[in-house]
Amino acid sequence: MTLRNLAALVAGLALVGAVVMMTRGGSPAPAAARTIVVGLSADIATFEPANISSRDNMNIAHHIFASLYTLDADGKHVPNLAREMTVSEDGLAYTYTLRDGLTCHDGEALTAEDVAYSFTRIADPANKFTGNAPGFVFSSIGFRGAEALDPQHVRITIARKNPIAFGLLTEISIHCKDSYEKMSLDQAATSPIGSGPYRLVSWSRGSEIVLEKAGESAAAYDRIVWRIIPEASTRAAELMAGNVDIIANVAPDQIAAINASNVAAVQSITSTRRMFVGFNQAEQFAATPGGRAIRDAKVRRALQYAIDVPTICRQLLQVECQRATGLVNTVNANKALTPYPFEPATAERLLDEAGWPRVGGKMRFAITLQAGRGRYLNDVNVVQAIGQYLRDVGVDVNVELLEWASVFQPLLRTRTAGPLFFMGTGGGLWSPIYDMNDLARVDSGTNYANWSDERWFSRWDDLTAAATPEDTRRIVDEMLQIFYDDGPWLHLYFQPDFYGVSSRVEWKARPDERIYAYDARPKG
Amino acid sequence: MGVLVARRLLQSVVVILGVTLISFIALHAGGDPTYLFVSERATAEEIALVRQALGFDRPLHVQYLSFVADLARGDFGTSLSYRQPAIDIVLGAFPATIELAVFAFVLALTLAIPLGVVAALNRGTAVDGSITILGLLGQSIPNFWMGIMLILFFGLYLRWFPISGQVPFLLPLLNGDLATAFGNLPRTLYFLVMPGIAVATYSLARNTRLVRSSMLEVLGQDYVRTARAKGLDERVVIVQHALRNAWLPVVTMIGLEFGFLLGGVVVTETVFSYPGIGRLLFNAINQRDIPLVQAGVILLAGNFILLNTIVDLVYAKLDPRVTLSRRR
Repeated sequence: MTLRNLAALVAGLALVGAVVMMTRGGSPAPAAARTIVVGLSADIATFEPANISSRDNMNIAHHIFASLYTLDADGKHVPNLAREMTVSEDGLAYTYTLRDGLTCHDGEALTAEDVAYSFTRIADPANKFTGNAPGFVFSSIGFRGAEALDPQHVRITIARKNPIAFGLLTEISIHCKDSYEKMSLDQAATSPIGSGPYRLVSWSRGSEIVLEKAGESAAAYDRIVWRIIPEASTRAAELMAGNVDIIANVAPDQIAAINASNVAAVQSITSTRRMFVGFNQAEQFAATPGGRAIRDAKVRRALQYAIDVPTICRQLLQVECQRATGLVNTVNANKALTPYPFEPATAERLLDEAGWPRVGGKMRFAITLQAGRGRYLNDVNVVQAIGQYLRDVGVDVNVELLEWASVFQPLLRTRTAGPLFFMGTGGGLWSPIYDMNDLARVDSGTNYANWSDERWFSRWDDLTAAATPEDTRRIVDEMLQIFYDDGPWLHLYFQPDFYGVSSRVEWKARPDERIYAYDARPKG
Repeated sequence: MGVLVARRLLQSVVVILGVTLISFIALHAGGDPTYLFVSERATAEEIALVRQALGFDRPLHVQYLSFVADLARGDFGTSLSYRQPAIDIVLGAFPATIELAVFAFVLALTLAIPLGVVAALNRGTAVDGSITILGLLGQSIPNFWMGIMLILFFGLYLRWFPISGQVPFLLPLLNGDLATAFGNLPRTLYFLVMPGIAVATYSLARNTRLVRSSMLEVLGQDYVRTARAKGLDERVVIVQHALRNAWLPVVTMIGLEFGFLLGGVVVTETVFSYPGIGRLLFNAINQRDIPLVQAGVILLAGNFILLNTIVDLVYAKLDPRVTLSRRR
């Protein structure tokens, strides 16, 4: 009798299964003909542009909010809402001329007054915004104010001349004044009214964001569905099953499977993210032998020869790479510099000469190498490999792998990571000075290595005062030479990024980690 | 019963304050959370301004007491990352978790009881051996591995089930949108199959073994032999006499287990991109979004207390020898 009940139960479950099977569908939002689905690894936090601080969040927001100028894939600034821009002679005022007929998603005309409002709203301390716009852009350029000169002209003023101010201003998202004055900050965080090519349709937190085309634009797809798929193998499976068109952050071990699937392929691109090991020269480390050793530029230079970077790229990142020569992306680097070769014998000789011989034929000094876990591509293995390379030349490295958010990041922000620390920082193609700006001042928050070389820091005034592009280039090259010789980074590589792209879609990955789905086209 | 419920309510206040204090201390133990909310290029002055804006410049005890005072007024605070009321975000993710928990729970229980009974009734046979081996396997396989295997085989290779995602049923239902809720229901179930199996496997295996051993113990009791000697139908003996008594340890276990499932199954939710409370709180902890973590912790602690109370009530109902006063 019990067996009969069991059989009835199984039959019932089978019936339910059959009904369920009738509802088969590939994804939560079945793709319409003109829909593109993008799989991301991280959820977003807000649609309030002034509170956005992550690249994933900004990527989606950029479809909703347009900027005055924008960056193309080659790192060139091209007009967007503005059609032209002029700079005052003293370099402190930027005047933009807007295109005709601009509107926001609610139909309101977008004028210079709206642009000025978008800027001043960010700067208003009452709003307590903490995103990249107030926390980095405005502080870097010394934002003074924004005013509408007439409906088509807006002037942005800054406190001090800055060679990268124009580029930084392109980061600011523009929206209309009337709609945002009516909204609470809570509403602005969830119900954006933008000026970009797409408007928000729905946001299921942790699940998906749906955008639809707003007005006329050259974008090929009517809808974009951003799906949050944290697990790399699940993202790859969704791509190979044909449920997703583009995925970010493909794990290196899944590249072969995707390429063999015949429905998608992996695009590999060298990103602008600069990976390095920092030599933290903070006073607190000077008491230890390792901390004391790396304060000597000769030791830092010696260690450059100890690491086989191309092999790390080939074996651990599945790409061929050229070693970096500094903190500036290759296209803007000092062309006279060549990457340090892997010559452990040279490293050993230079360490001997620097006064750190092997003690009793064994190790020279002990030092700790810290890194966050799971933040960068295959970071744990890369850090272990670096530790071993350094041990091979007699440096007794203790590798500490730390939880990123709660342990390692606070150490970085308080500039107390290390004495050796592994990390990557975002860069750009549009200006070498943007890349160098991490070390604009000794007290810069991003001077994680507490570097204080006067020869570098004293040149920033010269850089700002440079009269011609040639002068700027010359000063940049001189500074990069100093950084190459005696800088606070053990140069590694520019992180490769892997994107999976369906064979249905024509889309090209960008080096700057920006994912613009409006650049995609259906194939055929 | 009223006394028990009142006592549990009082206990819940103490428990909730305790867990909020522990989580508050744990979240602050990693250092100043301000750094997670400022640009990496922010200057010391800008960091100080943000610290002040977020309230982290106040002494820890002041921050905690302020949180408790707000809590007493029903204000759970604002999520630091989402800039939205924390309790709204937690409650927004909870229905998805309830759907997954109920699905997995029902799946595990409806299979575990018959399998356990069948194994006990066929003790020492090949049927018993097979069920026992499957039980051991179910308890040994990590659920993330099970999830990935399900995705690869049933999602990618056979294309029977969706690989990831969720279709909401409870959320529109709670919002009064019945048409959407019941329109979604078949797809809700369809999307729940694979994550539900991944979550249920361990629970199914454990409960099968529990039911089996409990049944074996009961089947050897005098009253079962007496029932059979009286000539009762075997089905009546098994269901009304043996199974009812074999239930008791199972009820205790499944009550706790359901509470655990309502806490969210982070790994399974991550593998299947399931937007439940486990993944939400995991991310909130990583981002040290203290108000969001606190709101989640309070909700989960409240659930556990509620479920334990229900288990006590059910226990007393099932076993007349147990009174509520004795169980307390």
